[in-house]
Amino acid sequence: MVLFTLILAPLLLLLLFLIVRPKPIIIPIKNRHVFISGGSSGIGLALAQKAVSEGARVSLLARSLHKLEEAQKSIREAHGVDVAIFSADVRDNNAVERAVAESGPIDVLVVNQGIFVPGALENQASDVIKSVIDVNLTGSFNVIKAALPWMKNRKDGAPASIALMSSQAGQVGIYGYSAYSATKFGLRGLAEALQQELISDNIHVSVIYPPDTQTPGFEQERKIRPELAGIIMGSGGGALSAEEVAKKSLDGIKSGSFSIWFNLEGYMLGFSGAGFSPQTSFPVAFLEIAFAGLSRLAALFFVWSWYRIIQKKHAN
Amino acid sequence: MVILSLILLPFLLLPLLYFIVRPRPVNIPIKNRHVFITGGSSGIGLALAHRAASQGARVSLLARSLKKLEEAKESIRLSSGSDVSIFAADVHDYDVVQKAVSDAGPIDVLVVNQGVFVPQELEKQGLDEVKFMLDVNLMGSFNVIKAALPLMKQRTDRLPASIALISSQAGQVGIYGYTAYSASKFGLRGLAEALQQEVVADNIHVSLVFPPDTETPGFERETEVRPELTKILAGSSGSMKAGDVAKKALDGIQSGSFIVPCNFEGHMLAIATAGLSPQRSFLMAVIEVIFAGVLRLVALFFQWNWYRCIEHWHPRKKDT
Repeated sequence: MVLFTLILAPLLLLLLFLIVRPKPIIIPIKNRHVFISGGSSGIGLALAQKAVSEGARVSLLARSLHKLEEAQKSIREAHGVDVAIFSADVRDNNAVERAVAESGPIDVLVVNQGIFVPGALENQASDVIKSVIDVNLTGSFNVIKAALPWMKNRKDGAPASIALMSSQAGQVGIYGYSAYSATKFGLRGLAEALQQELISDNIHVSVIYPPDTQTPGFEQERKIRPELAGIIMGSGGGALSAEEVAKKSLDGIKSGSFSIWFNLEGYMLGFSGAGFSPQTSFPVAFLEIAFAGLSRLAALFFVWSWYRIIQKKHAN
Repeated sequence: MVILSLILLPFLLLPLLYFIVRPRPVNIPIKNRHVFITGGSSGIGLALAHRAASQGARVSLLARSLKKLEEAKESIRLSSGSDVSIFAADVHDYDVVQKAVSDAGPIDVLVVNQGVFVPQELEKQGLDEVKFMLDVNLMGSFNVIKAALPLMKQRTDRLPASIALISSQAGQVGIYGYTAYSASKFGLRGLAEALQQEVVADNIHVSLVFPPDTETPGFERETEVRPELTKILAGSSGSMKAGDVAKKALDGIQSGSFIVPCNFEGHMLAIATAGLSPQRSFLMAVIEVIFAGVLRLVALFFQWNWYRCIEHWHPRKKDT
């Protein structure tokens, strides 16, 4: 019986080694152009700092020129390097196109802008929902579409990357996050289809799923978070620092990983939600298969505990 | 020893999952209740309306074209003798939707079914088309649900109510040519998972229906412009008739299932993509846990096949 498992596991590993698609890849960032939307604060700024420290040429896109200048200054002070800054609202595709054209051909596009306004759907104004969708989802389409022609015509033949900043709220919908989760789930649908469209141009798509991260945006969000959402989400891991998220994100982008997860909860969410996402790493594919059942069982336990919390709250 | 524990496993899981599946199973009657269907003048929506009417429901249809609505109304009167209410509105406009919903009266079963699909590679697709799909399929769904919720919460019979969203298999896996469409349909799931937590206390139950390619006028138009690769990749799952999809959808809605697959491939997709979605049926939960690993392997095989197809069609540009 032990023999059976000893033979089966390597066979499965070999099979996976042969079939994982897209094939594994390394995406260099040194001396390459990294363009980050929503790059003036939070995770975007931390990504910029990290990319600069690894020798990349970085451009930041955000709405506020003032915040962009502050970001530029803080990077210059930390690393002695100048990043290019572009002020534009991702909802304005003409402005985005101009910014992208001015910044020059992009090698690594990090679509990171996002807003999150928690609130139960019945309490959330229709125009707030619209702005969340417009910035997080439509805005991402605007940025990608603007960058694509330049990315496809890049001169070095090295692999390029489009990385999308999702969230653990893009792996599971939680009380108070209908609009935010909708946009973050949406990014995954976009990414799965986009990867199939861009693989032959040697462009590799990554979706990043951070948990709560210590950023200015998060501070604001926590103040207005519905109580029930806080209790339910509190059952996950603690908040990570923006630097930790940036490091792991960049590592994942450089190894061309389609899905980038954080902490134990993130991996559980990732394994149970692997679905029909591609997996470029055959050892991770093996783990996904081996832990799929256990992850789904864990997921059912999480759902059980959340609905009991909801039931208890409403009984009061 | 291993074989013994493998056989015992389901017997251990069955009672365990019986106790922990949430939300609890429910039965949602539709006879003599108000079923409100957006995008109800054609395709799956119209088939759902026919079916609901024939099962004794009071049906309302919302769609853009008054003419198509009148034709739909006539065809339902001819087939089942019942009169449906019709409301012309664009789901994009919240105020108009809200007026239609309040004119229709308190809703018991809301079927959010409107949808548009224009398949094309993102590189070639106009942003106006992308925006159109996101607006109608995603924002429009938020508008409809938000408009209907207050009255649904105040319904006088205390029977369970339902909010059903018609997604698509493109909402379970993103396919070449469907960046915007898949984005909007994946979005519906994020919406649904969060919404279910918000409305369970009001005895409102959320369902997501995942049809494959379905023979509808919308699909006719779509196949004309579909990229060749999309046809090949999407062909992995068969197509269905609107009437059959309507049957599966309504059965799933009445049993309060969160995820409603429509064909065999759909069941496989559902198990593979179960993620953190709720599962009310403990039997289905056991199947999900036991077959999760196998289905992930199947999914990886599909990726292998699809990417080889793509490679065959678009040989990779050589690295310089």
